[in-house]
Amino acid sequence: MNNPLTVVDPGLAIWTIVTFLVLVGALKKFAWGPLLSALDERRATIEKSVEDAKRATAELQQVQEESARLLAQARSEASGIVTRSRADADRFREEMRQKAQEDAAAIVKNAEKEIQLETARAVAQIRTEAVDLSVAIASKLLRRNISAADNEALIQDAIGQFKQVQ
Amino acid sequence: MIEQTHADPQAAQAAVEKFNAGDTIIGHVANSSAEHPLLHIGPFFGIDFSVTKHVFMVWAVAIVVFVAATWLVRRYLAQDRRVPTRGMSALEFIVEFVRDTIVAPNVGEKWVSTWTPLLLTFFLFILTANAVGLIPIFDVLSLLDHYVFHTAEDSLLKGLIHGGSTATANFNVTGGLAIITFFAILTAGIRANGFFQHWKNLVPHGLAWPIYILLIPMEIVSMFVRPFALTMRLAANMMGGHIAILAILSFVFIFADLFSSAAGVGIGIGFSVPLAVAISALEIIVVLVQAYVFTLLSAVFIGMAIHAHH
Repeated sequence: MNNPLTVVDPGLAIWTIVTFLVLVGALKKFAWGPLLSALDERRATIEKSVEDAKRATAELQQVQEESARLLAQARSEASGIVTRSRADADRFREEMRQKAQEDAAAIVKNAEKEIQLETARAVAQIRTEAVDLSVAIASKLLRRNISAADNEALIQDAIGQFKQVQ
Repeated sequence: MIEQTHADPQAAQAAVEKFNAGDTIIGHVANSSAEHPLLHIGPFFGIDFSVTKHVFMVWAVAIVVFVAATWLVRRYLAQDRRVPTRGMSALEFIVEFVRDTIVAPNVGEKWVSTWTPLLLTFFLFILTANAVGLIPIFDVLSLLDHYVFHTAEDSLLKGLIHGGSTATANFNVTGGLAIITFFAILTAGIRANGFFQHWKNLVPHGLAWPIYILLIPMEIVSMFVRPFALTMRLAANMMGGHIAILAILSFVFIFADLFSSAAGVGIGIGFSVPLAVAISALEIIVVLVQAYVFTLLSAVFIGMAIHAHH
């Protein structure tokens, strides 16, 4: 067995073991340890980010739904307000119109009543003046002082006539 | 020898010695000779600790892996906004691949952080050591030495050039790695189940006693066979690919010796180089697969010790 390919060389094997163990120790301390913990850390960060993103999306959706709901509510309230105020305005206008009509009617009625009163007073005044005038005319026509009895009789007669007229 | 012939077949033909394919191939795959190491150390307790080519390659690979990984990770972690660079993304891919598809399914979530560093280092170390063998760094160096530097026979450069550059093609290296797996299996079992329970877990309980007479020796043998298989699988695969490529390239010089240098060049252009390129492409896959298999099987064995199937 002189083949150099099959030479047993324990020195080489021991060197290999020592070198390899030193390499494992050094790499573990300076490379694998920090690297593996950094990889774990990064995985945790990514997991957290994904989780956060998911939660943020859910929150956003919730907020969107909420705002849509609020908007719809506001819109329906606004249209309710508009409808209501339009109805109020209509009613108010109607009331105003009615009130104006009533006022106008009252004014007309008052005026009529006043006209009647004035008319009646005018008629009465005319009558009084007519009596005075007729007395004056009569006394002028007679040109004499008629007796008190005639006078009285004439007055009574005139009153009687007047009452008839009235 | 082959460095000369690589560059110039005519020069090889003119060389004093005839081209010997077997010696050349072995010289390109085997470790540098223990008689002329880069550095004499020992022997202590009868073991020669001299730094040969493969010891040097093991160190070089370890340094490359350590510097590359540490540099990438440190640079990444130093950033405020941690955006991985291209190199860091590649490293992360490997790290997550090993952790999530090799370690985690076999050893279980509870022990992932315990065994990921070891198995990750297995994967990167073996992958780098395998891959270095595909890059003709030392062949280029030897060409430069031959034609430019002309260093002396005992120079450091000559020492570096001799011997194969794939440390994982040497079963002493893969054996060393498998011994680490062997102890990792023991450690995993004992840490997970306690010292005595680990040994009891080796065989299923509740069987009739005669079966144990058969089963206990079998399980003990299989305990040692597993790392042995790891050793041989990796070393033989890496050795085999290189031998195949070198053998195919050797045709150039064999034909040049037998007929003429024109025949050698013809074989080279028409047959050896295309086939060697194809096999090198295949080797890239083998390099990856063997690193993966060693790591995966180590993870499987560690997992079996943790989750005793009985």
